[in-house]
Amino acid sequence: MPPKRKAADVGRSSSASKRATPSLDYAEVSSSDEYSDPDDGPVDNNLKDVVNKFSLEAYSKRTQSQKTDPRFGYKDLSYLTLKRDHYNRPLWIEPVKGTITLESFSPLAPQAQDFLTTIAEPLSRPTHLHEYRLTGHSLYAAVSVGLKPEDIVEFLDRLSKTPLPESISQFIIEFTKSYGKIKMVLYHNRYYVETVEPEMLQMLLKDEVIGPQRISNGEGIIQRAAPKMGALVIPGTKDAAGVRETGGQTKASARSQTENQGERQDYGINDVGDEASEALTYSFEIPATGVEIVKARCQAIGCPALEEYDFQGDTINPNLDMDLKPTARIRPYQEMSLSKMFGNGRAKSGIIVLPCGAGKTLVGITAAATIKKGTIVLCTSSMSVVQWRNEFLRWTTIDPGDIAIFTSDHKEKFKRSTGIIVSTYSMVSQTRARSYDAQKMMDWLQSREWGMMILDEVHVVPASMFRKVTSAIAAQTKLGLTATLLREDDKIKDLNFLIGPKLYEANWMELAAQGHIAKVQCAEVWCPMTTEFYSEYLRASSRKQALLYIMNPRKFQACQYLIDFHEKRGDKIIVFSDNVYALEKYARKLNKAFIYGGTGQNERLRILENFQHNEQVNTIFLSKIGDTSLDLPEATCLIQISSHYGSRRQEAQRLGRILRAKRRNDEGFNAFFYSLVSKDTSEMTYSSKRQAFLVDQGYAFKVITHLEGINEYEGLHYSTPSERRELLTEVMLQNESSADVEEVTDDLFSMRSGGRNAAAKRAKAKRSAATLSGLAGGDDMAYIEYNKSRNKQLKDKGAQHPLFKKMERDRLRRKKERETAKNQ
Amino acid sequence: MTSPRTSLFPERQRLQVSQVTTMAASTSRPLEYLESLPGMTFNKLYQQPSTALAIFRRMLPDLAKCFVMALLYLKDPLPTQDLELWVKAESKKQRDNALSILGRLHILSKTLTADNVSAYMVTNPFASSLRKALMGSEDSQSFGVFSQVPGGHPVSITDLDEYARRQWEGVLGYMVGTSALSGQRDVNLSKGVKQLLQAGHLVEIRDRRVDITKDGFGFVLQDVNTQVWNILILYVESAEAIGMDSVEVLSFLFLLSSLELGQSYEKKYLSSVQLRTLADLADFGIVYQESPEATRFYPTRLATTLTSDSSALGSTVGSSLTGPAGQPGASGTGSGFIVIETNYRLYAYTSSPLQISLISLFTTLKYRFPNLVTGKVTRQSVRRAIDMGITADQIISYLHTHAHPQLRKHNAGHSTSNTSGIPPSVLPPTVTDQIRLWQLERDRLRATAGFLFKDFTTLQEYQAPCQYAAEIGVLVWKSDRKRMFFVTRHEQVAAFLRSKK
Repeated sequence: MPPKRKAADVGRSSSASKRATPSLDYAEVSSSDEYSDPDDGPVDNNLKDVVNKFSLEAYSKRTQSQKTDPRFGYKDLSYLTLKRDHYNRPLWIEPVKGTITLESFSPLAPQAQDFLTTIAEPLSRPTHLHEYRLTGHSLYAAVSVGLKPEDIVEFLDRLSKTPLPESISQFIIEFTKSYGKIKMVLYHNRYYVETVEPEMLQMLLKDEVIGPQRISNGEGIIQRAAPKMGALVIPGTKDAAGVRETGGQTKASARSQTENQGERQDYGINDVGDEASEALTYSFEIPATGVEIVKARCQAIGCPALEEYDFQGDTINPNLDMDLKPTARIRPYQEMSLSKMFGNGRAKSGIIVLPCGAGKTLVGITAAATIKKGTIVLCTSSMSVVQWRNEFLRWTTIDPGDIAIFTSDHKEKFKRSTGIIVSTYSMVSQTRARSYDAQKMMDWLQSREWGMMILDEVHVVPASMFRKVTSAIAAQTKLGLTATLLREDDKIKDLNFLIGPKLYEANWMELAAQGHIAKVQCAEVWCPMTTEFYSEYLRASSRKQALLYIMNPRKFQACQYLIDFHEKRGDKIIVFSDNVYALEKYARKLNKAFIYGGTGQNERLRILENFQHNEQVNTIFLSKIGDTSLDLPEATCLIQISSHYGSRRQEAQRLGRILRAKRRNDEGFNAFFYSLVSKDTSEMTYSSKRQAFLVDQGYAFKVITHLEGINEYEGLHYSTPSERRELLTEVMLQNESSADVEEVTDDLFSMRSGGRNAAAKRAKAKRSAATLSGLAGGDDMAYIEYNKSRNKQLKDKGAQHPLFKKMERDRLRRKKERETAKNQ
Repeated sequence: MTSPRTSLFPERQRLQVSQVTTMAASTSRPLEYLESLPGMTFNKLYQQPSTALAIFRRMLPDLAKCFVMALLYLKDPLPTQDLELWVKAESKKQRDNALSILGRLHILSKTLTADNVSAYMVTNPFASSLRKALMGSEDSQSFGVFSQVPGGHPVSITDLDEYARRQWEGVLGYMVGTSALSGQRDVNLSKGVKQLLQAGHLVEIRDRRVDITKDGFGFVLQDVNTQVWNILILYVESAEAIGMDSVEVLSFLFLLSSLELGQSYEKKYLSSVQLRTLADLADFGIVYQESPEATRFYPTRLATTLTSDSSALGSTVGSSLTGPAGQPGASGTGSGFIVIETNYRLYAYTSSPLQISLISLFTTLKYRFPNLVTGKVTRQSVRRAIDMGITADQIISYLHTHAHPQLRKHNAGHSTSNTSGIPPSVLPPTVTDQIRLWQLERDRLRATAGFLFKDFTTLQEYQAPCQYAAEIGVLVWKSDRKRMFFVTRHEQVAAFLRSKK
């Protein structure tokens, strides 16, 4: 079942015009499936100030100057004293930037790791020593899952080999003081500003902006017992199984749930939960119209309000009858990520980061099944919409009538009072002319209050798009899902404020070791440029250079050899090329099927089906449309021949294509990821930059300078100088635009393919010189199709013209009649 | 479908080679030196039973020891064919190797038996000295004399190790110039040591500043045992220049290597040359004496492991010299302190300024904690090192010698699942390959020394010698158009040209 889950592009409107122009300076090059938004202006500047405020470095600069050794260039921290039993403790903490180094072989490491993923951003997690960084955002996330600053400080100090530097503890205290203290609670559909500290509340009430917003109804400051995990059970976990077994005895299981929570975080943080259960919260009410104003003000005074949703206490929004199927079991890391989200019995907004293929969809579904309120799911393409709907039906007991789709083709509403709606970002954020029924649908969406909004693949969408989406639709909780929270332009930080903090980030290597995702051998294959190509390369313009290094005959040979090698091993291979010209050239020469933006919908489906089920089709070529939206568990080998400059995310997403490999749990199974790079070209620089993210996740890229056995391999293309010269001439004749990366205006399965794209293509004419007699056939020229596309050969074999079918039917009928006549 | 284990990754073959070379390096250096000595020197050297025993024990492969022991007490030479019968045909290679080493060290010689059959026998000064050493019948002080004087407090082994470490690091620190910078307690190096380093071209003095040379960089990255041998060989070589008998010095070194660690020895039985050597060696930390006037001396671990086989010294000297202070639990298991990850980050458990400055030669350092230094091996940092004359193999062998026990453990764990039979490498193969590739990036031009022939007046005149040069295999390059060609050796070509005229 090839239909795809995720797709890259949403904002067609803005992306086409703002695409990054290829240039050698990759600092300026951003991945083109990221949106650069024209109206990012003033709001962002405001946000930038806030963002800047939240880094430890900025904080430390004010407090101390750093010492750098003039000779070796390291920061000298040897003045820190070691604790006497330091060898039992796993952490070093660097006071200036908050870099934390963790010994992963220490006995305390598992707990420390768990703790650090909560409070800090993972920088690198290879085998032995991991690095994390303490940032304002990570602390924000930590506090929002219920950690107290004193506990963070104490526990860090306990794990650290050196006494915790003063600057760190100050930073933690100072920053968490303002974080998470104020909560914005939607309670009985009224908005309250809530805090556990009366002084804080007083401070807010005296504030010139917030004060007047308060609704004075004589109630004054309301005191309420703080919530705890209570009887909340995340479905699909062990506890949930317990609930089913014990029938209605939810109370007992609720207790076990809280106990379980305690075990899970037994590093002393969980005392928080117990203490908090006795604590009181103080709150005052504000009108719905004041919510935005208060939130903005809170951010400005440096104590952003947390949004929490007490969905169990919500009696206004109707409950949705939905539960995970009894057979559905979620994996430990999925449970862990959800427990961060539902830490205190309320739902928190935030982002969950899991590698491709590790089951992000199921996390989203389980969250929805936990909240059991109206849910809106936004994804990147119309095909993902269908996919999400199917997954909901597959994992949960939801009535198909309660789940609706809102795309340009389908505009459904659910039948009953509440339900789930699945749509795309572009459908919701579009501000230009809408069709009548789309507008009506939109009005309906906006008029409702939603329990949760799930935002799929959050990394591809720019901040302004989120701002539009989140302001248009009122949702209690927002859950962002992604595999690679990375943008070359660093705009990712804005998401902290627009959606929420990063709640959980999985460790790729750990998941691979546990068999949840496939183990991958990564290799970078260096292909020397042939002399003729290299001398052209040195002379060419930078765009043409790209074409030359992609079309390098040695690279072609390497590709051919690798495909053959892996097909013989029984692997299914995907070859990626960003460049469409190269894609087509390679695929035709090697007689393989290929898919790019211009391939029609039916052809795509047919090719993918063949790839999955036909033993004759073991290799497909994909352009960048296949980067994200593809779910092919059959694929076990990936070859990359051209890519988008230095995009770390593309590399990670492409790797994600083979992480789901069906055979991943076979003993000794390895998936293979090859990146073919032309030696001594700018590709080398990009390549090392691209790998940075994966390398920090612990993947090792082996450099292969020579493919063993390639010299003995028979039938290698372009092995003679004349063939290579021919290819070079052909490449040199190409327009510069051939070197461009494909303009993806749709995802792999969008219905719009062919339309605008094909029209643009037709406009380009190809001109070449020839004699008139030659064209007329006088030069012994005849038409033979040498380089036939494999795509065409994959057509259904049995297809016959209806006329012949009719004749055949008639013939059979007559025969039968004759026979019956004879028998009679 | 073929087995899923077949893989294109030529996993660790290359690394294997380097491991072997590093292992062998520590013993091959003295061996090489000895081989280069003239036969007369051996004659003198083998007069000393201690030398004969030390060479026998520590420098010979096992098979060679067998041969020596078998032949030692034979009256008559053993016919070659008889000896060859002892070894199975498939081990011919080891036999030839053993015999060749014995021959090169002048231990075994070929003679003729009475009935004119070629035969082997152990050469004489060696045979008699070894017999003496084995039977203990000698009464010269060839194996040193224990100090019997009870006075003074005995020096413990840890103190000796500490002393050896301090002195040796002092020498290395002087070379890389850390001691002045880090403000640590300066180890007082004698003028002799400094001169020796200079004479060996390990350092150069420019404007009164000590500058390390390319050879010096290679030197400091070697493991301790190799370093000690290199220094000692330098010392022996320069001994003649300052009026000492190099053979006597060398045999004294062998004497030292057969002493016992933790014991003190009398000085009064030593000759004047030996006393002088002793004083110089104390500067390096190879021996310890309380004061130059003291009547006894202690050999340190540097001395007693001189002729030991490599495996023993890796853990003992290594850990005592370079191991991180503290970590009582961890230091017992192995010597190394460097962890290098697949993402090229390097973590070194050390607080020694010397080690830090060594690491900084090829690493971009980031933070220095009290007992840990973090950094990253980058293309730039490796290229910088290579520019200074350090080779990729030196870096890798340094990393390998000092690899943290965790790295060894981790890879040992993997080896059980590795059925291919190749022992796993300690360092991540991607990193070692990459370091080599970074070096290769620079090695694109190869210089060939040679001679250019040009200015031929006619084509024929050019063609004949050019063809001749190609035939005798000295032609490197030619240009018919310019009538020039380039050869590695000119004599024959010149003779050819002359004969034509």
